[in-house]
Amino acid sequence: MKLYRSLIYRELKLTRKRCILMLILFLLLSLMLLLPIMIGGLSGDSEMEEDLLSIVWLASGIVALTGGFLAGTNNGLQKADINSGWKRYSFILPPTAKQQALSDLLTKLCYILFFGLLSVAFLMVCKIVSGINTAVEGIDPICRMLNIYLGAVCAVMFVDIAYSYIMMFANDKNQLKLISALAFVGAGAVLKVFGLFPRMNKTEKPAEDGTMISEEAINKFETFLSSGKTILCILAVFVVLCVLFFLAMWRSHERRES
Amino acid sequence: MNDYENAIEIKGVTKKYDGFTLDNISFDVPKGCIMGFIGQNGAGKTTTIRSLLHITDINSGEIRLLGLDHIKDEAAIKKRIAVVFDELPFHDVFNAKDMAKIFEGMYPEWDNVAYMQYIERFQLPLKKKIGQFSKGMKMKLQIACALSHNAELLVMDEATTGLDPVVRDEILHIFMEYLQNGERSILMSSHITSDLEKIADMVTFIDKGKILLSGYKDEIIEQHCILKCDQEKLQDIDSEDIVSIRTNNFGAEVMVNDRENASYKYSDCVIDPASLDDIMLYYVHRDTKEWS
Repeated sequence: MKLYRSLIYRELKLTRKRCILMLILFLLLSLMLLLPIMIGGLSGDSEMEEDLLSIVWLASGIVALTGGFLAGTNNGLQKADINSGWKRYSFILPPTAKQQALSDLLTKLCYILFFGLLSVAFLMVCKIVSGINTAVEGIDPICRMLNIYLGAVCAVMFVDIAYSYIMMFANDKNQLKLISALAFVGAGAVLKVFGLFPRMNKTEKPAEDGTMISEEAINKFETFLSSGKTILCILAVFVVLCVLFFLAMWRSHERRES
Repeated sequence: MNDYENAIEIKGVTKKYDGFTLDNISFDVPKGCIMGFIGQNGAGKTTTIRSLLHITDINSGEIRLLGLDHIKDEAAIKKRIAVVFDELPFHDVFNAKDMAKIFEGMYPEWDNVAYMQYIERFQLPLKKKIGQFSKGMKMKLQIACALSHNAELLVMDEATTGLDPVVRDEILHIFMEYLQNGERSILMSSHITSDLEKIADMVTFIDKGKILLSGYKDEIIEQHCILKCDQEKLQDIDSEDIVSIRTNNFGAEVMVNDRENASYKYSDCVIDPASLDDIMLYYVHRDTKEWS
């Protein structure tokens, strides 16, 4: 336990600056989205209730999405460790590769929990300031928010795992630069290849009534986001990604210089 | 636990890189001994150290640290050794206090009191960020961390390089103190041979990935000497005795590896004692034989 406390302390302390920046960004966005809800809530106009509800749903979705992206994104730890020489130094320290990988995962989970709680807190604040019932047709807004949040976390974590795996091959600053450049070019090439597929490069096609997305599609999406099955699926994907992240980090800590 | 004869045993280790090979090297560091590991830049000192610490994999050979296999017993070894690199591997955002918190959980035998004593002795600020430390302060901090968990083996890779003589002397003094109980050992790689002449009991000399000399420092220094003679007398010196010859306008300086024998055989030459620096210099030129 003492060992993990040390490892996580180091990682949290190292990523603290980044976390504060992300937090400021998150809070600014939340405040910006909260203002119209507050104004709407203070007006006390019952006719505006439906519009207000839509704004709360949209705002909570945006906040959950942003929170998910910020929490799941790469925290720059590997890069910092390579640059400072700690990666090489860690080979001579007592923590095993498995213990170090677990601490990496726990640090990531700390951030995911932190931004998850902030997102839920935002929804609660929205509920209080708007003074309306945020549940629609039995759909639990927290459940919907959680799905959006975890979905975003999973998407970003997937990219992070790939990035972390590539980073594993860098031993020092120079190799890091080379690998980063190659990864950047590689990602560009992958996107270019995807663009060649006929279904991936079609331009925006408006719905029949002229809107960008039809109401039916929105409703379908809302139902999908709020279903219990979706929660289970996203949770399962999240667990799998956590395991993959742990394995990638384990491999990274275990790999010796050639 | 401490039942071993040699703190380090390296047997027939080979490590191949593109353009460089650590070629079948073998040497031992007995318990309680300071081993100086010398050689010019690129000779293979760092590769040897990285191999024995399992930072890099070796192609063949066997390495034992504190009587344990360096790969199989890696976890047990790491708790009992300390390493000091030429550059501080700690992040700039931390301070000395943070480092104590980090290492406290990692090492079962971490001694916070000893750490604070070293910090005080080195006059290091506790709360100042490492990024604002001078090179000497960074090295002192690394040494303080290395000496605060009762490590039985201290491995140093060019730890004194780039430091001023006062700091170097202070650090060497601390190493001597650290060894006093006879249970601890040090492997110290450096190309500053004057430091090793001060504190090393043994010396291993590596060049182009091969071990050229390994043994007690005093014996090595006593065995070697420099003969000063003119070109005419140079022809009389047996080529088997010669390590290499340094020529100049006045004659030649010849390093021989059997001082006692040379004093009989070449009594008409001036015989000067050789320093570790001289030995390194003459051995590096052993292939060209004659150099100036």
